[in-house]
Amino acid sequence: MMAGVGGGNDFQWCFSQVKGAIDEDVAEADIISTVEFNYSGELLATGDKGGRVVIFQREQESKNRLLSRGEYNVYSTFQSHEPEFDYLKSLEIEEKINKIRWLPQQNAAHFLLSANDKTIKLWKISERDKRAEGYNLKDEDGRLRDQFRITTLRVPVLMPMDLMVEASPRRIFANAHTYHINSISVNSDYETYLSADDLRINLWHLEITDRSFNIVDIKPANMEELTEVITAAECHPHQCNVFVYSSSKGTIRLCDMRAAALCDRHSKFFEEPEDPSSRSFFSEIISSISDVKFSHSGRYMMTRDYLSVKVWDLNMENRPVETYQVHEYLRSKLCSLYENDCIFDKFECCWNGSDSAIMTGSYNNFFRMFDRNTRRDITLEASRENSKPRAMLKPRKVCTGGKRKKDEISVDSLDFNKKILHTAWHPKENVIAVAATNNLYIFQDKIN
Amino acid sequence: MEYKVEAHRIMSISLGKIYNSRVQRGGIKLHKNLLVSLVLRSARQVYLSEYYSGACLNAQNEREGNEWDITDSEREKFPPSATECDRVESTEEPQQSEQSEKGRDYRENDDEVKSDQADSTSTLQQEQNQNSSLDSVAKVSSETPPETSNEPKESPSDSAVAESDSTPEANGESHQPPKTQRKRSAEESESGDSPQKRTKVASSNAEESEEAEEMDTSNVSNLITIFGSSFSGLLSKDGAKPEAEDSGQICCDQMLKNLNPWSTAIVAF
Repeated sequence: MMAGVGGGNDFQWCFSQVKGAIDEDVAEADIISTVEFNYSGELLATGDKGGRVVIFQREQESKNRLLSRGEYNVYSTFQSHEPEFDYLKSLEIEEKINKIRWLPQQNAAHFLLSANDKTIKLWKISERDKRAEGYNLKDEDGRLRDQFRITTLRVPVLMPMDLMVEASPRRIFANAHTYHINSISVNSDYETYLSADDLRINLWHLEITDRSFNIVDIKPANMEELTEVITAAECHPHQCNVFVYSSSKGTIRLCDMRAAALCDRHSKFFEEPEDPSSRSFFSEIISSISDVKFSHSGRYMMTRDYLSVKVWDLNMENRPVETYQVHEYLRSKLCSLYENDCIFDKFECCWNGSDSAIMTGSYNNFFRMFDRNTRRDITLEASRENSKPRAMLKPRKVCTGGKRKKDEISVDSLDFNKKILHTAWHPKENVIAVAATNNLYIFQDKIN
Repeated sequence: MEYKVEAHRIMSISLGKIYNSRVQRGGIKLHKNLLVSLVLRSARQVYLSEYYSGACLNAQNEREGNEWDITDSEREKFPPSATECDRVESTEEPQQSEQSEKGRDYRENDDEVKSDQADSTSTLQQEQNQNSSLDSVAKVSSETPPETSNEPKESPSDSAVAESDSTPEANGESHQPPKTQRKRSAEESESGDSPQKRTKVASSNAEESEEAEEMDTSNVSNLITIFGSSFSGLLSKDGAKPEAEDSGQICCDQMLKNLNPWSTAIVAF
């Protein structure tokens, strides 16, 4: 029984909710481009290609429904980025949100960073549930009162009102990236964060928008010598001086900001030697790392390349400690996947709260979970067919050759337009959010 | 043989992707284009190794005969060299040959292309100014390594190409002319669909259109101009890919001939 991934033998993933239009015709702007839980898991943010951010909030658990936890409902929606035009290069700057990262909550308001290709914005999301009434100088509808009519002085009183959630941009960090931003990561000091583009990584202070420190620069003096680009970067969860960045060559560099102002020389270099027997025209593309994530413990990190997920021990640089094949059956299809551009898809990966399981997406709206302890893995599907409340998800299987069993799907029948690139796991519970094109699926466990 | 067909197909697909990336919204994606150029290079290596193994082993001697004739007539234009086909198959230390290739390229550039170099240099300066202004915007409070794009440096990616080309030892000079001559002869013989492609490239930017137009004529001085302008043009442009220099040395086929303008088509950062 393969359903035990993520929490033990009696574990079952069940459908909880789906957000987004059912329409077959998907507008490009509605395609979800990033998903992120906040530190408590109470809020879930999504960004889309249209530059919008939608935040869902979990409702308080009701006592009546013991078997399912609170549902996520829309909390706030706002337009984070607009399309821009770079007049110098005659290029349009897409409004697509590449990454959202939450800041830890320090007061009643919530803060998040959202980034498109060129600009990062700090948004404050705050609630307003009271309104002052009884102003002296203006009427209830805002018009100024005639001064001659004011004969008494009163103190305005705070009256309850319908909850209003406001999002306001507090900082705009712009003009620091020549190339496309692929990552942002909040530092554990909660004062700084890094942003990475194809060739450079900058360190910002959250309060200062007109300056940033360049900490990594791999742009060669002669661009003709360019052989690799930065594909992802992340700050260490506990050590505020440490960060990692991955490259298109399948390598990861760990840098220590105490060592030098410009961290071009790494402290650690992680690379697995290539298997020469599996070389093909596309070896370089499929070894390019699309995502890197530290474990919550800070002891491990996980990287995603096109066909696999690898877990690295930070103390061992010459090879990963664990390798999980996501969809090895695609290895023989690389040429077709190159033609239809699927080989360039950037899949993300995530840890569960206890670092015992990892999850990543695949095609045909499949996503995969691997239990690191039991070494079991499971393939599940995010589809409208399995969308009945609390319906258990059935494990899926891809038939790689020979006779196709019932319920299996053959590789050629996979829908490569239905790809799951972005997934997120609640930091504390077994609740996952899976973005399937323009729909957001939320699944949770059902404890037997 | 099937590898050659596959390699050719992959090369044309890759070039199509590079071209399409120019009209994509949001600007050219450096990462994707780098990966595509790597695939293009791998495919080209296979294609070339197949070509050379075919060319030198058997009945392609006639064709080579013609090419060498042309070579003789144009030999004065190029530094003296030995141009035997059997040299192509000799095994060699890739680094050394690649270095000498590069040295040759640059030397040839200097010797032959003085007038055109003037044009290219001014373009180069223009581009450098643009680049430096962009960079000053990007980096406000940190030191950046000075951008020196005048020295051709050894590119690790070229070693792979050099390997498949099997360039000769001591003075890699021999490598340049045969390929050049073949390229020209190929150009002369097959000019069918190339104008279309050149036109497309020409519409991209002024530098490339200059180059594309020059490809239309088939005399040697223009070919040298192409090498000259493409080489320094590449030096000046951000985002230029390594194989663009290599493409000057590859001249076997219609597809490969068109790689020269196409490779600079990658450049648009």
